[in-house]
Amino acid sequence: MVFLRETPQQPAGRRADTEAPLHRTVLGTAALLAGLGASTSPSPLIAQDDVVLDTIAPPERAFYFTRAIYSGFRRGRFGSWSVDFPKADRQFVIGLRHLTNIDAYAFEHPVRLDDPRLRQYPLLYALEVGYMQLTPAEVRGLRSYLLAGGLLVIDDFWGSREWANFESEIRRVLPEFAIEDIPLDHPLLHAFYDIEEIVQVPARGRGVNGAPTWERDGFTPALRGIHDDDGRLLVVINWNTDLGDAWEWADDPWYPLPYSNFAYQLGVNLIIYGMSH
Amino acid sequence: MLERLFELLFKYRPVVFERGEFAFAPPWPAVVVLVLAIAVAVPAVLLYRRTGGRLDRRDRIVLSMLRVTAVGILGFCLLRPMLIVATVVPQENFLGILVDDSRSMQITDGGDASRAERVLEAFGSPTSPLVSALAERFKLRFFRFSETARRLNDSTELDFSGRRTDLGRALDMARRELGGVPLAGLIVVTDGAENGASGETAQSILQLQSDGVPVYTVGVGDRRYARDIALRRASAPGRVLAGSAIAVDVELTQSGYGGTDVELVVEDAGRILTTTPVDLPRDGDVTTARVHFTVDEPGPRSLRFRIDPRDGEAVTANNELAALIVVEDRRPRILYFEGEPRFEVKFLRRAVQDDEHVRVVVLQRTADEKFYAIDVDDEDDLVEGFPTTREELFRYDGLVLGTVEASFFTHDQLRMLADFVGRRGGGLLALGGRRSFAEGGYAGTPLADALPVVLERRPIEGDSFFAPVRIRPTAFGATHPVTQLGTADDALEDRWRSLPALSAVNRIRELKPGASALLEATGDGFDDPVPALAYHRYGRGRAAVLAVQDTWLWQMHADIPLEDQTHETLWRQLLRWLVEDVPNHVTATADVDLVESGTPVTITAEVSDSGYIRVNGADVDARIVAPDGSESSVPLEWSVQRDGEYRATIVPNQDGRYEVHVDAAQSGAPLGADVMYVESGDLGSEFRNAELQQDALERIAEETGGRYYDLGSVETLPEDVSFTESGTTVREERDLWDMPILLIALLAFLAAEWTYRRQRGLA
Repeated sequence: MVFLRETPQQPAGRRADTEAPLHRTVLGTAALLAGLGASTSPSPLIAQDDVVLDTIAPPERAFYFTRAIYSGFRRGRFGSWSVDFPKADRQFVIGLRHLTNIDAYAFEHPVRLDDPRLRQYPLLYALEVGYMQLTPAEVRGLRSYLLAGGLLVIDDFWGSREWANFESEIRRVLPEFAIEDIPLDHPLLHAFYDIEEIVQVPARGRGVNGAPTWERDGFTPALRGIHDDDGRLLVVINWNTDLGDAWEWADDPWYPLPYSNFAYQLGVNLIIYGMSH
Repeated sequence: MLERLFELLFKYRPVVFERGEFAFAPPWPAVVVLVLAIAVAVPAVLLYRRTGGRLDRRDRIVLSMLRVTAVGILGFCLLRPMLIVATVVPQENFLGILVDDSRSMQITDGGDASRAERVLEAFGSPTSPLVSALAERFKLRFFRFSETARRLNDSTELDFSGRRTDLGRALDMARRELGGVPLAGLIVVTDGAENGASGETAQSILQLQSDGVPVYTVGVGDRRYARDIALRRASAPGRVLAGSAIAVDVELTQSGYGGTDVELVVEDAGRILTTTPVDLPRDGDVTTARVHFTVDEPGPRSLRFRIDPRDGEAVTANNELAALIVVEDRRPRILYFEGEPRFEVKFLRRAVQDDEHVRVVVLQRTADEKFYAIDVDDEDDLVEGFPTTREELFRYDGLVLGTVEASFFTHDQLRMLADFVGRRGGGLLALGGRRSFAEGGYAGTPLADALPVVLERRPIEGDSFFAPVRIRPTAFGATHPVTQLGTADDALEDRWRSLPALSAVNRIRELKPGASALLEATGDGFDDPVPALAYHRYGRGRAAVLAVQDTWLWQMHADIPLEDQTHETLWRQLLRWLVEDVPNHVTATADVDLVESGTPVTITAEVSDSGYIRVNGADVDARIVAPDGSESSVPLEWSVQRDGEYRATIVPNQDGRYEVHVDAAQSGAPLGADVMYVESGDLGSEFRNAELQQDALERIAEETGGRYYDLGSVETLPEDVSFTESGTTVREERDLWDMPILLIALLAFLAAEWTYRRQRGLA
């Protein structure tokens, strides 16, 4: 399955993605997104086609928030990889550009794991990996990506069953490295914001009106990682939490602000860390 | 041959004409001779004028001229021309004979006998024709010379083992020794291959000139060996960081082996570091071979460069050269300031993370007034952002400046950046980016002065620039240590060509005068290649630009195999090169660090305070540890010519390595210290450039009024030396009227006249 972006095709560096000068706090960004309301609601941006994905090489922008397109069980519009897509991506980038001075591409940027150009985007976001079923080509592509220097950020999968699926898949990619907890004093948690606690970020509709924040048996959020032999972080795993939903619904006045706040903080830290470590 | 022909025609050898004064001594008054000549010539001319018939005007003129010339020659003879020459009074004058006793005289060239044997044959025995002839006229005094000079009682004292040749010192010594006696001149028998340390030759010649003492030089040996390979010079860096790529240029020349392929071997303490194939140049041409290698073991390393001797080489000792390189086991600190998060930070850090000899501290602006410092020594370091004082910035050896706009800095900080290079001597590398160079508003700032490229006017707002570029080494950069990618030399070009395209967002077209480009960029947006990596010296330091924004693609592009080390190698070499010779507060150097024993060495220390302002009133001492472990101390004095520069001279007399520890203090407070090394020993200097230096010997003879000879023409020396103004002399008259050339000319003109007349029917 190959996808075509339907976003406007003018050069990325010349998009009308102007920055507002203010809103340099997470709360401000969340408020900004809430104010944008319907204007940022998703439109049908993805369509099936046989045209190769239009990635940009060499990249003009310093950073592309790149979402991994992987094979898996059907979920979301096009597969489990596309959950919250593209609104979560866009809203996260809007926040990222307001909170930091990263020269970030202002739109979504999905790339297949077996696309050789994947390596030109050294930070990769993937979610719903409980439904991931990688093809051999994707395993090879992702392994090459990670060993060359890429960083994979995993999000939005819950409970032991989804963990087991993810663990099984990632073992196919990196069988030689262990999965370990990332401690609170890890530089990742202090690269931009000082994060002292891992908060469980619920999906939309949870965590309000007495509803629990967890899903399935994913009661406790975890931040885990896979390091190589030199101690370099290859994979960051956000388990039992859903940063993507918090970004996606940051403009929803019913979505609890503290969770959006934390999701942006952790997201920004991941990007800053991933671009410097 | 020419000289013999000259003597046959002119009766005397040229030297007599050179030294003599021309004069006439007519037996009768000159007027009588003149009248006689006119009396003979005028009737002949008048007769021809009156002769009519077949003679036209031209014939009459020719015949008249021939007759007048013949009469003129006759008249010239009747005036009794002569040369008046000063000649020495036999046995009243002294003659100094200086024989080169250095090792280069052991070379066998120009025949089967060595230079020494041929010299001994000519000068070594009192019974030799040359010495006998000289002894008839002069009182002879023999001297030997090499690095020193002394009187010689007997030729058996010559052993031709001197390690150096110091002609100036020898001439000076002989002049002083014979200063109180009538001195007719000095004869110097040598190959002229001088390598002494005194540098007194020019001064000695001036002194001899003013004393009127002619020097007769006798050259020994061939001007060019028939067959020889010689390493002339190795240009090696004095200090390098352990494990750094080193490039050394070795100059070599040859004769008799043109076009031959040889191998240039580099050894460190007997261990071969690298072997480089070299295609030998044409006879007499000098070629430069660049060798690349790394040295890991810290400390002073005596590296040997050699080409194995070939059959039939005149000299094999010059097939080898030494160079002293100090391999430093330190870890210079580089501050990488990045104005916004970029993957360049991640991959640069990753490239040098395991490098034990470069340490990168990152300061990254992540938002307005928010900074992220990585790998700082102390958690308070750089907490306020980019350094605001020179002391804080100058603690670093190098500075990498990422994409940050000029307006981020205060004017003083921009001045400080320039001073970091110019005054502190640090290494600056400015990277391309949307906020770099002219696009970042640096044109006209103090930092722009320090950069090696011309910054164009600030681009029009919104006139953004983005160009995919391919990078390749320039002709100069192809052999530079920074551009070596760990491949074999012949594969280097292909390796560069295979690298993926990067991107440039800055308009950089022009280098400043004196700047060099190591890498250049080509692409659709450029008519000609533009500088990609360029540098120049700015004050005490080195400033470079790398005008692309994403070298990390050479790590992450799909075409780059996982095991490929191109990105890591390039950055390690680039950063090491940037800071390898950055000075400390005290930096000691020697004018020469590999010397023959006994050669004076000048030690220079540059001393500056914590802000790298040069200090003139410091107490600077050198503690010298000799090879045998003995220690001595020498104070260094301010040189006066330059601020903060102190000098002293030491003479290493022992063979081995001297350690020189230089300490500087001001008002009792230490400013800093440095260690340097000098190695003395047998360097085989005598066998380098040991061909006959005929031009130099001719110049010495010419400037002092002497003559140059080779051993084949030296038999005329005794007579030539006799014609001198120096010493006790008498003036001799040498007749010229009976020169064969005059008789021949007279007969020739008369015969020509007769023949001409016959042709015109007059005879």
